[in-house]
This record gives sequence, structure tokens and C-alpha cells, in this order.
Amino acid sequence: MAGVAALTGAAGVVLAAQSGPEIPSIDEFLPPEIIFAGTPFAMNRIIMVRLIMTVVMLVVLGITASRAKLIPGRWQGFVEWGIEYVRDKIVYEVMGELRGKRYVPMISTIFFTIFFFNLCGIIPGMNIAATATIMMPLIFALWTFVQYWIAACREQGLLSYLKQECTPPGVPFPVLILLVPMQLIDILIIRPASLTLRLLANMIAGHLIVALCFSATQFFLIIAENKLMMGAGVVTLAFGFIMTLFEAFVAYLQAFIFATLSSVYINMSYPEVD
Amino acid sequence: METFAEGKSGIALFVPESYDIIWSSVVLIVVAIFFYKFFLPKFQAIFDERAAKIEGGMAKAEKAQADADAAKKKYEDQLNTARVDAAKIRDDARTEASHIIADARTKAESDAAQITANAQKSIESQQQQALVSLKGEVGALATALAGKILGSKLSDSDVQSSMIDSMIDGIDKDNAGKAK
Repeated sequence: MAGVAALTGAAGVVLAAQSGPEIPSIDEFLPPEIIFAGTPFAMNRIIMVRLIMTVVMLVVLGITASRAKLIPGRWQGFVEWGIEYVRDKIVYEVMGELRGKRYVPMISTIFFTIFFFNLCGIIPGMNIAATATIMMPLIFALWTFVQYWIAACREQGLLSYLKQECTPPGVPFPVLILLVPMQLIDILIIRPASLTLRLLANMIAGHLIVALCFSATQFFLIIAENKLMMGAGVVTLAFGFIMTLFEAFVAYLQAFIFATLSSVYINMSYPEVD
Repeated sequence: METFAEGKSGIALFVPESYDIIWSSVVLIVVAIFFYKFFLPKFQAIFDERAAKIEGGMAKAEKAQADADAAKKKYEDQLNTARVDAAKIRDDARTEASHIIADARTKAESDAAQITANAQKSIESQQQQALVSLKGEVGALATALAGKILGSKLSDSDVQSSMIDSMIDGIDKDNAGKAK
């Protein structure tokens, strides 16, 4: 991150010196409405990307599923590996098979959708994650939120759940005065908010860094007259390349974290077994 | 951050637009239905079918193995029986052969004994014949010899025959004495 700061600083200096590279800003995440503007069905660039990616995902996975054979080919094997990865390494790993079975479709939906949407950030032509507006992460977080409250009411009753979460055994009474509000805030606000913000912030930050690198490269190599800046351009290009690969990893990592934390929160709604 | 927040306030990032709410919900519902109703059940069916097939295949392989073991045991049993039978037949044959040899030997021995006995008999009878003819010839020879020695004295036939008889008696007595 220090490198990023240095780069940003360098870019700032360049900006001051001459007309400078185009610095990406949060405006890119608040793009103008381009279709059905002013209606509740208005679409901006990010929503277009999201809808296109949804269609692509449904078509690709749909064709894979409808052509699925008993003896899988390479692509089917890869998709099956993904399904089994989510099931075994995320859901069953956290909740165990008995509890987890019910939640496999939910967590799979969350994982695959977030992963595909995150990947939009490095797909040329889209160049922005479909999860990079507040609502998309938030709606996944709300789904998790609803599910863990439902699980709590179903498995042990609301009061028992609140007691389990807010008053851990062995905590002396004075501490509870602090602890109970904190825990209530945690299960009511912090959990969904942290899920939402973690994903959103990762996507925004990743896009800004990659965009900054390539914008700087564009400026150094093509627009700038000074040949000495070519070297800086090569560095920013290499860094942009590395960050693009890193964003691919982050796309997976954030999907994994979101899916795992959803499983964990739902699992915490179940009564503790000694 | 000031640089980044030039256009709109950063807070705007966290304030959902109504169309964002709608499109996120629509996307989530569509995707969730796809995963719940089609994608995962389809693959679950494939996984189940594959597991069943593998289990079926393993059962089949086990059965084939059992069959092969049974067949092997059967053939081994047959082979053992055959081996025992062969040994029995060989023993029988050996016994029979020794019987045959013993019989042949007995028969040969009796034949040989009979042949020996016959030969003995024939030799004895020939000896008897030879003895008889010898007795005659010796008599004639001795008479002739004695005649020549004694000349005319013995031309009388009475004397001649009495002399032969007494001589043969003498020989017989000699023989009898030897036989004893």
C-alpha cells in the first residue's frame, strides 16, 4: 500500500507540473443514468455491467448444467470442482454436513454471484466490478442477516439466541452493561454492515488502483512529451499488470470471505453444543 | 481523498439509489432461483447418479471377483480329484502289473519244472534203452573177444551162452553194488 501511496503522490506531482494523467475518482462509481433515466428502472454503467454479467453467468452455467454428463469433460469438471469447493470447504467446513445441507444453495448463490460480479472489474470493456455499488453487497448481506435471524428463531427461539449472543457464560454483571449493547449492535448492524462495506470497499479500492496505474501509464508513455517519463510508464504498466492479477485473486478472496462469514453467522444462530 | 471526492460527496457511495435497489433485487432473485431450482439440483442429480454408478460398479466387481473365486475353487477341486484318481489308477495298474508278473513267473516256473521233469524222464528212458542195447552189444563184443582168445574151445554154443550169462550176472552184481 505504501507503493500505492507513492504512486498517487507521484501522480499528484505530475498533475501539478503539467496537465497530468486522468485521476480516477469515486465519480466512476456514481455514473450517470443512461437508460430509463429518472424512473425506478434507470440503469447506469455499473448496472448494465451487472445485468450483462448476470446473463453471461446464467447462460454459461445454464449450458454447462443442461449439458452435464455423468462422465465430466474438463469444463464440467472445473464447474463441479467449484460447486464441491463451496459445499465442502466453505459450508460443511463451517457448519458441518448436518446443518450445512440446507444452506448449500444459498452460500453457492452468494459465492458464485459475488465471484462473477467481482471479476467484471478486470474484464476488458466492463472494467468495473458489478458489486461496486452499495446495494449489491448490501442485498447479499441482508439475505444473510435474514437467514441467521430465521435460523436463530427456528433452532433455539429468539430469546435463547439473544441470551446466548449477549450474555456469554462467566461474564460478571458489570461487564454485561457494556457487553449487551455491544453484542446487540454487532448482531443487528455490524455483521451486515461489515459484510457490505468489506466487499464494496475492496472493489472500489481495487478499481481505483488498477485504473490509476493504467491511466498513469497512458499519460507517461503516450501523452507526456518528456522521454524520461517513459521509465515511470513502464513501472506503472508493470504495477498495473500485477494489480490486475491481484484483483483476480481479490475477486475470489472476497467471494470466499463473504460466503464463509455468511456460513459462520448462520452457524452462530444454532444453539451451542457442549 | 479530497482529490477523489471532487465531483460528488463520498457519502453518495453509501446511499442506495432506488434503481440500484431494484436491479440488485432482481438480479439476486433471478440468480437465486437459477441456483436453487436448476443449477445445483442438476449437479446434485449428476453427483448422486455417479455415486450410485460407482457403488453399482463396485458391487459388480465384487460379484465378478466372487464368481471368479468360486470357479477357481471348483477347478482346483476338480484338479485335486483328478490327481487323486490318477494316483489311484496308477496304484491299481502297478498292483495289477505285479500280479501279472507274479502269475507269469509262477507259470514259467511250473512250465520249467515240467520241462525239466519231462527231460529227466526222457533222459532216463534213453539211458535205459542205451543200457539195454549196450548190454547186448557188450555181450556180443565180449563173446567175440573171448572166442578169439579162447579159440575153438568156446565154439560150442552151450558153453558160449552159459559163459555170457555168468558174465552178465557178474556185471549186474557190480552195478548193484555200485548203486548201493
